[in-house]
Amino acid sequence: MLPSALPLVILLAPAAGALILCLIREDRYALIRRIAVAATTLPLLGALYAIGTYDTAAGGYQHSLFVPWIGSLGIGFHLGVDGISAVLVLLHALCAFTGVLISYAIKQRVKEYYIFYLTLITGVFGVFLSLDLFFFYFFYEMAVIPMYPLIGVWGSDVKEQGVVRFSKEYAAMKLTIYLTLGAVVALIGLLWLYVRSGADTFDLVSLQAHLAQRPLAPWLQQAIFPLLAVGFGVIAPMWPLHSWSPIGHAAAPSAVSMLHAGVLMKLGSYAILRLAMGLLPAGAELWMPCLAAICVMNIVYGGFVAMAQRDLKLIIGYSSSSHMGYVLLGIACLTPLALNGAVLLMFAHGLMTALAFALVGHIYDETHTRHLPDLGGLAHQVPFIAVCGVIAAMASSGLPGFANFVAELLVFIGGWDRYPVQVICGVFGVVITAVYMLRLVRGTFFGPSKPVFAHVRDATTPFARLPYVVLIAALLFVGCWPKRILEIIDTSSRPLVERMRFQAPDSQLVEQPLPTQPAGVN
Amino acid sequence: MPWSLLSVELAVCAWILIMLAADLVVPAARKSALWMLALAGVAVCAGLLARQVPAGPASFQQIFLVDGFSRYFKGLFLLTAAVVIVMTRGVPGSSIANAGAFYMLLFTALLGMLVLASINDLLMLFLGLELLSFSLYIMAAYLKTDPRSVEAGMKYLILGSVSTGFLVYGIALLYGFVGGTGFDAIRLALTTEPAPLTAQAGLLLILAGLGFKIAAVPFQMWVPDVYEGAPTPVVALLSVGSKMAGVVAMLRVLYGACAPLADLWTGVLAMLSAATLLYGNLAAIPQTNIKRLLGYSSIGHAGYLLMGLSTGLLQGMTAVGYYLLAYLFSNLTVFLVVATASEALGGEALDDYKGLSKRSGLLAAAMFVGLLSLAGVPPLAGFVGKLLVLLSSVDANTLWLAAIGAVNVAISLYYYLMVVKRMYLDAPADAAPLRVPALTKATLLFLVLGIFAVGIVQEPFLRQIAKAVGG
Repeated sequence: MLPSALPLVILLAPAAGALILCLIREDRYALIRRIAVAATTLPLLGALYAIGTYDTAAGGYQHSLFVPWIGSLGIGFHLGVDGISAVLVLLHALCAFTGVLISYAIKQRVKEYYIFYLTLITGVFGVFLSLDLFFFYFFYEMAVIPMYPLIGVWGSDVKEQGVVRFSKEYAAMKLTIYLTLGAVVALIGLLWLYVRSGADTFDLVSLQAHLAQRPLAPWLQQAIFPLLAVGFGVIAPMWPLHSWSPIGHAAAPSAVSMLHAGVLMKLGSYAILRLAMGLLPAGAELWMPCLAAICVMNIVYGGFVAMAQRDLKLIIGYSSSSHMGYVLLGIACLTPLALNGAVLLMFAHGLMTALAFALVGHIYDETHTRHLPDLGGLAHQVPFIAVCGVIAAMASSGLPGFANFVAELLVFIGGWDRYPVQVICGVFGVVITAVYMLRLVRGTFFGPSKPVFAHVRDATTPFARLPYVVLIAALLFVGCWPKRILEIIDTSSRPLVERMRFQAPDSQLVEQPLPTQPAGVN
Repeated sequence: MPWSLLSVELAVCAWILIMLAADLVVPAARKSALWMLALAGVAVCAGLLARQVPAGPASFQQIFLVDGFSRYFKGLFLLTAAVVIVMTRGVPGSSIANAGAFYMLLFTALLGMLVLASINDLLMLFLGLELLSFSLYIMAAYLKTDPRSVEAGMKYLILGSVSTGFLVYGIALLYGFVGGTGFDAIRLALTTEPAPLTAQAGLLLILAGLGFKIAAVPFQMWVPDVYEGAPTPVVALLSVGSKMAGVVAMLRVLYGACAPLADLWTGVLAMLSAATLLYGNLAAIPQTNIKRLLGYSSIGHAGYLLMGLSTGLLQGMTAVGYYLLAYLFSNLTVFLVVATASEALGGEALDDYKGLSKRSGLLAAAMFVGLLSLAGVPPLAGFVGKLLVLLSSVDANTLWLAAIGAVNVAISLYYYLMVVKRMYLDAPADAAPLRVPALTKATLLFLVLGIFAVGIVQEPFLRQIAKAVGG
């Protein structure tokens, strides 16, 4: 296949934007913002092109590019997209683009803000596009660190009735340390895997091919799997390691929360399915039931905690960690159907939660409060935002017509055979979601108009409405016509699950007899 | 006799005399320009180093080895010296910048480091180490009117002398077994017959002496006080040059002479590495003085270096070589910022760095990059160094040690970020912009670009290092 410049453009556009910003005077706000918009528009177009031209008949990694990097260690700069990453790249491109537009609300230290923001965007694109473990980790860490200044400088303290519950410095530090700890645990797993595989390559494709021929000993797979699953699970965020996430969301500026909840959390589930599951089938076989049990805690516990919150961002934050439970449940099922659902849910939830954080950000900027009991009747002042809020609540609760409905349904159907109890709990979680989302909408937008909010302005100009419209349109489009995107996901998730069945000889999933394998293969 | 093998060292000797003469001849008013002469000396040495033929290893009288390894590290030593000279200009009001004698001491220290990169004999080890140490004892106490500086010099002298005692005793014990001090003889003796307990003890005592140089636990007591009291350029030389020299000497002694005893020293170094990592990084957390913090952080980095050394593998050597390169760029960046800023900020307390980003965007950004590189964040140099060291440790089957190293990445990130927090998140007490001299600006820019280059384009550096350690 010919090398393609497409992933390089997607990856380097935001990086180049950040570099150019370094050289610009800091008081030229309009120019700075325009550069940031350009640096995220280009990847969006690239991502749409990648989705549009993805060849479902061929499947596999497409638009790939390979440059040898460190020969002696088998590290190559290998980029490319398969069905799963193409969808996630599109999700990230959408969130990044709308996030930059939402960031117009940032008024101080604009230049530094966009430099960190674009670095963060580059890192996340890098993770989704990398087909090399070294660069995967490289970009993963690169995406985590900018969160610290972004939250610390431009964030806001989480207050309750005037009393600071969490300061933004605390939230930023907690997030960074949690994620870094998780990352280094995963790193040890990756290095162990690299050394023991004997393939002397960090290249994901070669490593996968090598391990298909000579799988690691099952005990080794079972030992490495939890390192990767827990290490990357921290960002997913997997219960009980999720506590950094809601306060991190709440303290971050809205555009950062959008990326953080919309995309960063998906890095964890993506890494688990791509690396832990893709490279360690025997480990997955052993540990997936544990993961499924943890997911239920995520869904139910996260949901109940969200119900108890009064800060709008905390509600959405806990709801995110609750909804990521469905994603992990879909992955834990190890069936193509549920895996398709999980990937589609990453996409759908990312858009929905980005929409929700953008809305909350607008309300907070206008009213200077996120405390639910203080709000009310805002539909009178901000009808457009209120409509979007209702739509976000409906999408979050999984109403038909939205992508979330399709995705959750697939997870439930695909998981029923394997984990009926967990699925039932999951369905119950949908009800919890409906409760807190409807309460949020009612408490914020409906009821009598409050005089203190008379000055509150709506998003009136087409430009201000653009990010909301883009996100809602994407949600509805995929919800009403999920066929194409599911076909794309399926080309990659089906081989992933099938490879697992072939590789794990004592798998319970095997329905037909395996080709006979000589003893002592491992 | 192939005197050309000694060309760099001879040039340094010449420059020691030149600096001494210049100190006497140049009138006091013009002495502030002496740094240029010193910098020229480093440039001459670099030129001579570049001209050394990159053929196979050659030795001078079997005691002084010139090979790819020595050339690589001598290059790093010269770079360190050059940056330290630039740093001395950033310490206004002190006697350092005006004293030819200070630069003379810098060159004697440099001579010691250069010799250590070429040792092939235990006596040369002793000679190089003492040259380096004695220069540093004096330099640490150079601010004669500042009691903290004098205390730093005294403390360093006393503890350093004790460690030299260990070293000499170790050399004597090893000599008793081998009957010679040449590395070739030692290797031969250790291969042909099992080493008796006395020889093993001798090696461990030598390690103790060198452990003092690189600030490994349990020989790290001097670090925080000396770092706090000594002039900043000297601290930079201590933490980069002297530590690098100690590691280079360890590499020569362990991998060159005592390779047959690998079973003994890999285990010992692994334990020391774990202790050093945990002590350095945990003790750095409560610090309130930037130089003390950097002192503890440098202990932490000694832990990573020991981890690479403890593998006993070629990959470990390569990893250490890369780690030192990354450490050099990152740590010198940080110290250059500290040297430039501390006078204007009015102190070296961490709280003096509050709001630095609003007073000087360049200094804050350079410090940010340098600290994050020390913490090991991609795409910066430190990340690759840490990754290679951890990888070599996993390769050597010491997974527990790699795990401790990995966790310490997160711990160190915490205290580095606490500095970042002060610079970026907190408001400055005084918002007047800081002036940064053009030369310092250019050097900072060079170092920061170096951090990015070493972090992103690893292949050329790695190939160079692999060639150097390969023989």
